[in-house]
Amino acid sequence: MEPVALRCERLSKTFFSLRGRVEALRQVTLRAEPGELLVLLGPSGCGKSTLLNLVAGLEKPTAGRVVLGERTVADAEARAFASPFERDVAMVFQSYALYPHMTVGQNIAFPLTNLRPRPGREERDRRAREAARLLRIEELLDRKPAELSGGQRQRVAIGRAIVRQPRVFLLDEPLSNLDAQLRTEMRAQLKDLQRRLGVTAVYVTHDQTEAMTLGDRIAVLRAGTVQQVGTPMDIYDHPANPFVARFVGSPPMNLFEGPVEARGDGVRLRDGELALTFAGPLAERLRAHAGQHVVLGVRPEHIDLVAPGRGNLDVTVDVVENLGSTCLLCALFEERQIVVQAEAPPEEKRVGLRFRAERVHVFAGEGG
Amino acid sequence: MREDALRCALIIAGSVGLLVFALAPVAWMAWISFADRPDLVVQGEAAYGLGNYVDVLTEEELHFLDYFRNSLVISLVTALAVTASASLAGYAVSRLRFRGRVLVPLAVLAVSMFPPISIVGYLHRIFSQAGLLNTHLALILPYIAFTVPLGLWINMSYFAQIPRDLDRAAMIDGAGRLRTLTHVVLPVALPGIFSSFLLVLIACFNKFLFALMLTVDYRARTLSVGIAMFQGLHGEMPWGSLMAASVLTCAPLVALTLLFQRYVVQGLSAGALKG
Repeated sequence: MEPVALRCERLSKTFFSLRGRVEALRQVTLRAEPGELLVLLGPSGCGKSTLLNLVAGLEKPTAGRVVLGERTVADAEARAFASPFERDVAMVFQSYALYPHMTVGQNIAFPLTNLRPRPGREERDRRAREAARLLRIEELLDRKPAELSGGQRQRVAIGRAIVRQPRVFLLDEPLSNLDAQLRTEMRAQLKDLQRRLGVTAVYVTHDQTEAMTLGDRIAVLRAGTVQQVGTPMDIYDHPANPFVARFVGSPPMNLFEGPVEARGDGVRLRDGELALTFAGPLAERLRAHAGQHVVLGVRPEHIDLVAPGRGNLDVTVDVVENLGSTCLLCALFEERQIVVQAEAPPEEKRVGLRFRAERVHVFAGEGG
Repeated sequence: MREDALRCALIIAGSVGLLVFALAPVAWMAWISFADRPDLVVQGEAAYGLGNYVDVLTEEELHFLDYFRNSLVISLVTALAVTASASLAGYAVSRLRFRGRVLVPLAVLAVSMFPPISIVGYLHRIFSQAGLLNTHLALILPYIAFTVPLGLWINMSYFAQIPRDLDRAAMIDGAGRLRTLTHVVLPVALPGIFSSFLLVLIACFNKFLFALMLTVDYRARTLSVGIAMFQGLHGEMPWGSLMAASVLTCAPLVALTLLFQRYVVQGLSAGALKG
């Protein structure tokens, strides 16, 4: 089957509850290309799961449209709404949502029993077995979900999703209930499976590592709006705003916020108790913002250690976290910390930090 | 160490005390049911045997088996009807979004708070006008009304425990509302539905007031009333037969409860948590 594109156009969703109205999504416009794996990334409560539910057909949009391929499957203005099954989408839930009273085989075959015309038992068995073989769980077909490990349940859930060969594959934090090692393993397998099936997929996660490794493209969401859409490297190298900058990347980017003061041949940025001084090309870039309030960001891996007084900022290293191949140096301040990734811990506690000019991000500040 | 021992002793003493308090009358009942001359039991001059049981089960004038059949039919029909409606209602309240969703269980609960005695007079009039007095239906109808709240609340708390994701997964997999209910939610909820069935059955079996007022004789009278109205064969208080009949009445309920202990306790605690 040809993979299809998925479009969301000015999609909004407002929930009404006893506590009042909650705008879960505001005017979200997004597109997943045919065969692409699009990751929706954001903190909890950003609306990413709501967006997935709107695409799935589990929720009706308050405004906007969802288009799958050529077909409009939800249109708030035209009051058109196709059920999940009519949309031909499959979904993997964070909780797996396996039917506890059915065997693995029955779980996987359940979507087939709802098809019209309904395929015969042999045909259903064959297709369930094939999905199981693809996921290497053939030997589990007669077991009940309660007898399976987390990783096995996960595979069954995926099997149930792919058995129907859906046009779009939706995954809602499918790996977050697995332990770290299994998660890494399943991540690679999921990616491989999606490529082999060539199906358009939307993957929801709050884990930026998952987003970076899995996504062909990532859409970063916050408070119901799209902050940035791009390839993982795009988002890593050119974050659109301080939120994206800090949310993507581990450990997160160091941010400094304050007014820019031009003085002589250098530039100063004052962020509370910290005073950063810049010279050379970075100073030239910052000079354009003289007198303005900016947010300056630099990733831990883009800071070099130098002698005190020779860099942009001097700090005292308070904590050293050894990661084996590298180590993280943390300088603690009252409400924040500055993190630097270095190959080896410095000999002196007092060090200078020099930011790599070409890797420093400058964002317009959010206010005076 | 001594504290532990003391604690243990206190717990055992408390448990034994409670058990004796609860079971002593039952044991006394069972004991007397085997005595040929109950009035001589205390003096230790009674002989023991199954005579009372044979009397109760064979004497047609006592109508024990008729009462038993009435109780069974009325309780079973009520339990089935309540389970069917309460499980569907429980599903609706826990899953569907409609106006007044919160009010339904509360309204139903409010109905169950009516003291039965306050309406039994009117029921008597209605049923006598409808010609239903002394029929099974005269008990089944009010029993359903009074036990639906019990069934609904047990079912509701059960359905609430079933993850919503199951319904959503079934929807994605192409099952409609009804198929989701019959193929996914109901099978998962079965233990809860069964426990509500058992509790309603037991509650109906034990009900007394309506049965006393709305039935006249063995054609509809239930066991609980039947025993209370035992006349005896020889003009004296027939303690032996009375106790034998009581034991026979308790036996099926005790057996049911022991057999399905897990479900009964589950149902009770589910209700306790929510109610």
